[in-house]
Amino acid sequence: MLKVENLDKTFHTGAGDVHAVQNVTFSANDGEVVAIIGASGSGKSTLLSLLGLLDAPDRGSIEIDGNQLANLDAAGRTTYRSTQVGFVFQQFNLIPNLSAKENVKLALEFAHWPKEDREARAEAMLEMVGLDAGKADRRPAKLSGGEQQRVAIARAFAAQPQLILADEPTGSLDKSTGQKIISLLREAASQQKATVLVVTHDEKISEQADRRLEIEDGVLKEIA
Amino acid sequence: MNAVRRGIRNAFRNAMRSVGVVAILAVAIALSISMLVARDAVTTKINSVRASTGNTITVSPKGFFGFQGGGTPLTTTQINGLLNLSNVTAVRESLSEQLKSTQTSLTSPTPVGQLGQQFGGFGGASSSSASLGGGSSATTTAFSIPIRVIGTNSPGNAVEGGANGGGTEKLTSGSAFSPTSKADVAIVGGTLATKNKLKVGSTFSAWGTKITVVGIFNAGSTFTDSNVLMPLATVQKLASATNQVTSATVVVNNINNVASVDKVITKKLGSVADVTSTQATVEAQLAPLNSVKTISTYTLVGSVIGAAIILLLSMLMIVRERRREVGVMKALGAPNRSIITQFISESTTFTIMGSIVGFIAGIAASSPITSALVSASGGSATSASTSGFVRRLGGSGGFAGGSSGFTPPTGATPDAGAFRFGGFHNTVTQLHTSAGWSTLGFAFIAAIVIAALGSTVAAATIVRIRPAEVLRSE
Repeated sequence: MLKVENLDKTFHTGAGDVHAVQNVTFSANDGEVVAIIGASGSGKSTLLSLLGLLDAPDRGSIEIDGNQLANLDAAGRTTYRSTQVGFVFQQFNLIPNLSAKENVKLALEFAHWPKEDREARAEAMLEMVGLDAGKADRRPAKLSGGEQQRVAIARAFAAQPQLILADEPTGSLDKSTGQKIISLLREAASQQKATVLVVTHDEKISEQADRRLEIEDGVLKEIA
Repeated sequence: MNAVRRGIRNAFRNAMRSVGVVAILAVAIALSISMLVARDAVTTKINSVRASTGNTITVSPKGFFGFQGGGTPLTTTQINGLLNLSNVTAVRESLSEQLKSTQTSLTSPTPVGQLGQQFGGFGGASSSSASLGGGSSATTTAFSIPIRVIGTNSPGNAVEGGANGGGTEKLTSGSAFSPTSKADVAIVGGTLATKNKLKVGSTFSAWGTKITVVGIFNAGSTFTDSNVLMPLATVQKLASATNQVTSATVVVNNINNVASVDKVITKKLGSVADVTSTQATVEAQLAPLNSVKTISTYTLVGSVIGAAIILLLSMLMIVRERRREVGVMKALGAPNRSIITQFISESTTFTIMGSIVGFIAGIAASSPITSALVSASGGSATSASTSGFVRRLGGSGGFAGGSSGFTPPTGATPDAGAFRFGGFHNTVTQLHTSAGWSTLGFAFIAAIVIAALGSTVAAATIVRIRPAEVLRSE
């Protein structure tokens, strides 16, 4: 279970302070898909960075299954990212000179999965996201956008993290493919018992989530 | 796939760039290999030339010009003082005297000849008058060639050097006297012995004293083999030249110390003695080679640093280009160590490929590059000095060599000395380039240095990349 309390993040710029995230408090259960919607610059991506420990909050706490994360050191944050968090990006961000399977295995390597289990796990994850077996050895450039995002989802779920952070996962896809990807995230969350936070500005996509949160000027609120 | 394998694979990610980086590295490494080989060849040549010049310094009275005069004799006290200098292992002293026909029972084996008549004014004994030339009549003094006596405390090395006739005396019968002997004994040259029917045990008179022949030597030239060697103390006593010395040879423990000892002796005896060593002459001849050595050393270091800078900039460019990728890997939980290892593997792959190509090219180019360097550095000066070198070293009685007759000095053998001098008929600019394990070892170490230096900035850049910033800019 994810529990966030009083999270604050302010950027100090030449034009003044930008309060990207202000006093954010929310929680999400295992297997739950939560959509966070908001306009561009509202603080969605910053919130995901804080939850993924890519950035440090100025104040507040992040807790997963009772473990406090906000005070981890650099090594602890790296371990957390490799084992407890999976990222899905709008631009997929697959490593271009690695095949689909190797991209998935990369996440397993960073999570220190046993070498002998990686191959089978990667194949199982690619099968789970519905990528044709014949395409597992193809490089990202030889895959369609939808296929690349499937690989990215397989990579995000591969190490069995408790939290998946998806930043505009359908932003680069057509509507039909986007719907399939959201369905896939829901299925994967359910199967893996992981909490999925999906940041999107697409109302239709957000409607498929179990819960919807809206962020505006860094302030998060629940949408009924 | 671990970080190392990913790095190796990444090295082939962009074929054009990889070829470019490897080609530039190969040129730099080829240059450094060529310079190393050139430097080694030149160093070997320099060492060989230095070794062949011997480790001795000659000290003679200032202005002394053999029996033609000049200078005031040095004293035994002055010369013995040289033994206390550091790095000096021995001092061979000699006193050269002449026995006129009125002072000895010996007859010179050397005929006077026309030149003898012309230069007969140098102390010959008057015996009759003769007329030279066909025109006007002139009265000249006829003389016989005087007998040369060398008083020495080092029988076996007494005739070494031009002043004492040159060559290497070898005993053909009898034995040598002791270096500290004061006895009225002599070792006579073979030619003189034959002329005077002398054998070991025979006697002759000199300065009114009966001298016993204890040995007969042969040095290979009529002039030298007409000499008489006697104990230094004996000659000083009989010729009324108490404590006088006309020549000393200082033996230095190491060829590399000759210059410093030469300097000390010059400082000590410079006002009364001429101090000469072959080392100084040889150093002048070797100046072009030393210049090549310096150039090749700088170029060697410069090319290795250049290669490292090329790789450093290439890797920096690659890291910046893959900034997002690095950010993604960090977001996925990759530790800095793993990402840095990946990039070091990539730079090492470039370096190894560049080193292999560069090594082969460097070996192939080393000989012509060395020749070009030597030619360019030496120029006409090298050619001129080369002929001087050959002339001096090949001349009879000039540089008689580091070899000795009765007791070879430490580290030298008579044959080796002769061999080396024979080698001087080749010019100093004829070098042999070769590459061995040391060159290969250098290439390996250089590759490691280049890869390590080339990766440092890339590694520092990787550490500074913040995934949140990289991914936010999406």
